[in-house]
Amino acid sequence: MKTDRKYNLIPLAFFFILLLPMHAAAQVTPAIQLAGRGVMSFNTYDRAGGFGADGNSVVSDFSDTGILLGVRQKLYNDYRSRFVVGFQFPDADSDLGQVFFHQVHFQLENKWSVFRIGRTRIRSSLIEFPTLRDDDAIKLTDVLNPFSSGKNTEESQYGNVVEAGVIYRQRVHLFVHGEHFTVTPVSAEDSEEDFSLNSFGGTLEYRVPEVQRFNRNIVTQLGLGWNNFLTHREGYTGFDETLKNVLFSAVLNLIPDPVYFLDLRHQTIYNFGFDEVSAVNTYADLSRAKSVNNFTALRFLYRKLERPTAQLSLGVGSKIFPDLTNSTREISVIVNGFYRLGENLDIGLQYQFMNYKGDLLDLYPETDQSIKLALVFSFEQFWNEYYDERNSLLNLEHGYLP
Amino acid sequence: MNRRDFIKAGTAVAAIPFLLPEQLFAEAAREGEKQADAMPLTPRIEGGVKEFNLWIEIVEHELAPGMVIHTLAFNGQVPGPEIRVTVGDKVRVKFKNRTDLNHTIHWHGLYVPWRMDGVPYVTQMPVMPGQEFIYEFVAKPGGTHFYHCHWGTLLHMQSGMFGSIIIDDPDDPVKKQFPYNREYTLIYSAHDVNFLRTELNSMLERMKERMYLMKNNRFDKERFALFNSKKELEDAIKNGYQPPYVTNRRSQADLPDPNWFTVNGKSYPSTPNLFIKKDESIRVRLINAGTEEHFLHLHGHDFWQVADDGVPVPQPWQMNTIRLSPGKTLDIIVEGNNPGIWTFHDHDTRRVTNNGLYPGGNLLALIYEDLPIEERRVGKMKGMKMKKGKMDLLPKIALDE
Repeated sequence: MKTDRKYNLIPLAFFFILLLPMHAAAQVTPAIQLAGRGVMSFNTYDRAGGFGADGNSVVSDFSDTGILLGVRQKLYNDYRSRFVVGFQFPDADSDLGQVFFHQVHFQLENKWSVFRIGRTRIRSSLIEFPTLRDDDAIKLTDVLNPFSSGKNTEESQYGNVVEAGVIYRQRVHLFVHGEHFTVTPVSAEDSEEDFSLNSFGGTLEYRVPEVQRFNRNIVTQLGLGWNNFLTHREGYTGFDETLKNVLFSAVLNLIPDPVYFLDLRHQTIYNFGFDEVSAVNTYADLSRAKSVNNFTALRFLYRKLERPTAQLSLGVGSKIFPDLTNSTREISVIVNGFYRLGENLDIGLQYQFMNYKGDLLDLYPETDQSIKLALVFSFEQFWNEYYDERNSLLNLEHGYLP
Repeated sequence: MNRRDFIKAGTAVAAIPFLLPEQLFAEAAREGEKQADAMPLTPRIEGGVKEFNLWIEIVEHELAPGMVIHTLAFNGQVPGPEIRVTVGDKVRVKFKNRTDLNHTIHWHGLYVPWRMDGVPYVTQMPVMPGQEFIYEFVAKPGGTHFYHCHWGTLLHMQSGMFGSIIIDDPDDPVKKQFPYNREYTLIYSAHDVNFLRTELNSMLERMKERMYLMKNNRFDKERFALFNSKKELEDAIKNGYQPPYVTNRRSQADLPDPNWFTVNGKSYPSTPNLFIKKDESIRVRLINAGTEEHFLHLHGHDFWQVADDGVPVPQPWQMNTIRLSPGKTLDIIVEGNNPGIWTFHDHDTRRVTNNGLYPGGNLLALIYEDLPIEERRVGKMKGMKMKKGKMDLLPKIALDE
């Protein structure tokens, strides 16, 4: 028996001897990216009138804090691949648990095309606004997920996405996308089982790459988007059964000065809504009623020594419901300022005023004011960065190298 | 593509590194070698002055087949064109900056007037994007020298901003002692291609901001990190200025760690070869424009070292390995007394690699072009079928993994 075991081990040893060097030769270390943001704020609220008017409250808040890990690799042809995993700490009352995996996606791209699949940011918004947290004005800045209970904002920001796009002359991006928006509520004993696509749409954008922002381009971004939710609408079939939104956005560099930089951002979201929604009593009504969102932000950025030093911004937005008769509307004003204490760390102060009228008083307090004093630690680090991103200056202005 | 096509295509790809080119004696290959050499620049004679035009631009440059990077390039080539003059010539070089970066030209080893030495903020202001600067000097001393950018030297030199300047001396003692008809110039360099890419991008991005400010007549000492005196810098620091080298403004030093090694801008198998005939002597001018030391070893010969930094050595002596330090130029004479195909390479074999893979880097060959064809045949390998005209002649390009 001993002899048999000896003979059996020999081919196995050969197998490992042959296999290991092959593995060693095949390994090409991918480029690694680690990014993160820690947002710690001390919030005070003052809510009066309407629903949820709980007077003053004070909380410490670390939501929106998250980590992102990405690896990317050049393929044997002209394509590049990227795999990203990221998680966030959602709002304490979000029903999403302690940690929410907001990014788990794979991307394939070459010079003129991009394909992405997995969980990532949904194209419910075309641009970002200078708010302390991404969701501070989400009812005005994003198309709302009509399948959500509205308990959290992540369900309008992130979903399971499949999208493909082409890029023309480095600045024109045309994308078609389909996604599964999270459906809630789900009963306690069940988990969500149907992950089929429940939305599709497209975007057409003109976008100046970030590294060319001082080339005196006044128009930095122009975007047009269309989202079509595959909702079930009583008494309708086909295209009429779906909920449709169109988006328009623009970013203008009013003063493209490297030291005293001023830009203006605007986005309009038009929700075609359902005619039969004549009152807003629930979150489902809110996302299905015909509405027009406008949000505009003016941002001043002071950059001493070629890096951000301080930023001031003023954001103003409104949401109106043309089909509702009782002047239902929301307005919001956000003023904030950030000062960089050192590399990576900013201190910020934000004041937000929200006012609701009409039917919205069934969902929100009449006035909702908050002051947030925050510390924000953000970083992005690369290792083994052995090839250029598409939008590097070398690739943009001196010939694209695959 | 079906499975069979896939296998076929895979075989072809795997075979390429072992089959090309078949041999280096073909006329086409020789023409290619000329291209790989630093091509001399033709001057315009203007009032007794030899006038050369140099410009700098960013190009896509192939280090070796399949490996292309962005580099700075004088007149679109790496290395820059060879400038060839005679001792005492009046030389004028019109240098035009066609990049978004700052540059100068330093004439390494030449006795130029100090205002022509090309050191930014010491002898001249940098040549800014779109600007032209005219260098004028009398060519001296004779010998092998080179020119290179002296702005952001660490980055700009290994990005390709170097070229040879050869000053012929009618009384050259080397030519008298070792009569030769052919000569070669080999410029060695070393490149951390990741450093090049990230730093070039970073510099280009910064310059976009600075040029915007310059065009609007706004200059800020701290922003440009440019002070009139040490005291001015110290005062700025007392007032809260953080110099760019301090640890809270810059990560721990990421000094370049070269992973590509070139001769005349090319890595093996694109390196230029040296051609010789039996009983012929050739002069090889060696220039190190990089940051690494090279220990160059020639197989099968002892060559003569005849000049050091362009200065003829009083007593040439023989060796088969020579140490070429950064900034040095050395001239050697090779006597064709041992016909064959001989490798000439860095004996610090870390530099005979491409991205860490041996062979590569600064490997090249001394080739006797009158070597009889029967001596170039490969011995048949047992069990390996070879198609006629495919694997029968030396030398081959052989890459391993």
